[in-house]
Amino acid sequence: MRRRKFLILGILPAIFLMTFLFVLPSLWGIYSSFTNMALLGKEAANFRFLGLENYIKLFKDSSFYTSFVNTIYFVVGSALIGQFLLGLIIALLIDYAEKKKIPGRGIVYGIVLLAWINPTLIAGFQWSAMYDYYYGTLNKFLNLLGIQKINWLGTMPMLSVIVANIWRGTAFTMLIWLSALKTVPLELYEASKIDGANAFNRFRYITVPILRDIITVNLIQITMATMGAFLLIWAITSGGPGLKTTTLSLFAYRTAFEAYRLGYGSAIAVIMLIINLVFGIIYIRLFRRR
Amino acid sequence: MKKLLRLLPLLFILLLLITYSSAKPITIKVWYPDELGVKPKYVDKAAEDFRKAFPNVNLEVTRYKIPSGDFLTKLLLAIDAKEAPDVFHIGGTLMPEFVDAGYIRPLTAYLVKWEDWKHYPKSIKDAVRYKGHYYTIPYGLDVRWLYYRKDIFEKAGLPVDWKPKGWDDILNTALKIKNSVPNVIPYVIYAGVAGAGGTVNHGYVPLLYGVKGVAYDVKSGKYVIETSAVKKVLDFYKKAFIDLKLVPQEVLTLPKPWTTMREKLGAGELAILFEGGWVYGGWVTRYGLENVEKTIGYTLMPSEKGAPYFTVGGLGTCWYISSQSKNPDLAWEFIKRFNTREIVAKINIEDPHPVARLDSAELPEFKGIKYLYDCTQILAQAKFEPMAPGISKFGNRVQLMTGRVASGEMSPDEALRKFIEEMRMDFGEVIVK
Repeated sequence: MRRRKFLILGILPAIFLMTFLFVLPSLWGIYSSFTNMALLGKEAANFRFLGLENYIKLFKDSSFYTSFVNTIYFVVGSALIGQFLLGLIIALLIDYAEKKKIPGRGIVYGIVLLAWINPTLIAGFQWSAMYDYYYGTLNKFLNLLGIQKINWLGTMPMLSVIVANIWRGTAFTMLIWLSALKTVPLELYEASKIDGANAFNRFRYITVPILRDIITVNLIQITMATMGAFLLIWAITSGGPGLKTTTLSLFAYRTAFEAYRLGYGSAIAVIMLIINLVFGIIYIRLFRRR
Repeated sequence: MKKLLRLLPLLFILLLLITYSSAKPITIKVWYPDELGVKPKYVDKAAEDFRKAFPNVNLEVTRYKIPSGDFLTKLLLAIDAKEAPDVFHIGGTLMPEFVDAGYIRPLTAYLVKWEDWKHYPKSIKDAVRYKGHYYTIPYGLDVRWLYYRKDIFEKAGLPVDWKPKGWDDILNTALKIKNSVPNVIPYVIYAGVAGAGGTVNHGYVPLLYGVKGVAYDVKSGKYVIETSAVKKVLDFYKKAFIDLKLVPQEVLTLPKPWTTMREKLGAGELAILFEGGWVYGGWVTRYGLENVEKTIGYTLMPSEKGAPYFTVGGLGTCWYISSQSKNPDLAWEFIKRFNTREIVAKINIEDPHPVARLDSAELPEFKGIKYLYDCTQILAQAKFEPMAPGISKFGNRVQLMTGRVASGEMSPDEALRKFIEEMRMDFGEVIVK
């Protein structure tokens, strides 16, 4: 009983911090989404409870749909296909190289990690400088090869920001996979080899089931981080051209801090929260232990 | 008695607090954004005069070296937290929204008694009146020019004393440059979200005024969408961006297209650009007045078919008194000391803008600068930026609409339909005709 009390006392500071830094602001955000809260104009002087009005408006707003579809493209493209798969492949290759003592593995590890160590805003500006039509590194390089300049951000804006985000975020998945791979007992691989399992089957029937929990946590983490990605896109395209790279996080920012409509902006944030929850539930179900 | 003795320390503390609060001097807080470093010495001069006149008042002046948009967010959050400064400095177009939000005090009572108010022309006085009251005093006005590179025009065999005969002439001139001068961007007009305020006041609005269109009906207090006028504007965008490919798509994708395009015109890599009058000063600082006068020409924006020629005027940035100020009289004393004849002239010489005070324009050092003289002269042909509540929402919708056409995502008709739909969603009733 004393031990239980001690444990409760131990987690109290964490509960306190979580309540004040996460739970209360989230509740406040949900509450705001039902109001006309604004920082400018008539609405700023006439605070009202609107009920579901913001949400009804949101579902009629074509900019919301565009941002929603962009967000799905961005999350699936950069988090799931890009960061997750690429991170996995790099981790498997480095793990293999470590086991076989292949030289140069540390360099690959370092290069991938460098992208992650870089602050997001700096990474955004770097990619912006790479993609720039007039002075960009990519076009200068194409010039050297005698190839015509490409308007990267004009003709393939979403792909451009996805590539930048994959470059930036792959290291995280790679790190998680690398450390997780080390927890798989080597004897299992040895035994399966004797049973005649090939590399794919060893991965499918030994690695994945053992690392199921870690995969779930990693997927939830990168999905949430990508869903909320703001700085990178902001620095590269500011959401343009038009709304072509405006994801929900940029749409929420523009609404809340450029149009100063906090209530409407909060409604967008609540929708983002729901989408994150849906993704989370899907991942947990997908990798639930059978 | 014992109880009374116990209360004594409490009474003592209370007395101390009362003494302290009554002895505390009055503080007037002044906030303003400034990245370029032009304003500080003039603000300091006004502050110095204020401190001489009111030695017992504590004047706290804070300069924020951040972009004006970030300053606005900071200010609005301070207002929301009931910690607004007494005096602050923001764009004139924001006035209606600040009035509607109840953030600023009217200056009417001060202005009618102020000797110098007579030096301001009626057009300016009208521009700062909203719902029957004056709310601010502009000091440096905004005008816009259609800038062009004389050296590029010469290379293309075009006359350097250019006065476009209408919109088609702008497009044809740019097309001629495109076909005859390689490695030069023929023309830039801002569009899309990336162009921010430039898309509205340097792109959409001058075109809309060029077909006698209006954006807001003051009488009914509603936004107006004149479909034929907006359609003509969008057709122009389509021709410039898509059909003739005169304006590069990068205008829609660069994070701050105006920075790049101003640099490009200054460096002779862009031929035609409709931009703010204040941009000229940046070129002069970088390339020298003589060089700029030789290479950069400026002309008024034509209407669709030529005359009338006009500029888009704006109130620039102005000082306001917060409605949270407990000492508005003292706040006014500061504003008054900034808007003197000398300060208004000098600040606008350093950061070239036409002056709002007519007597400032008469000072010889102001009169002697040709560019400023020209800027002040065209005020008579100025059509002012729309001043309306919800202007930022309107601006955002305009950015989306122009961006959709300029990127080729939608036809002008589709973009216009979308614009009407979105404006109705944002403002409820909108006059569509």
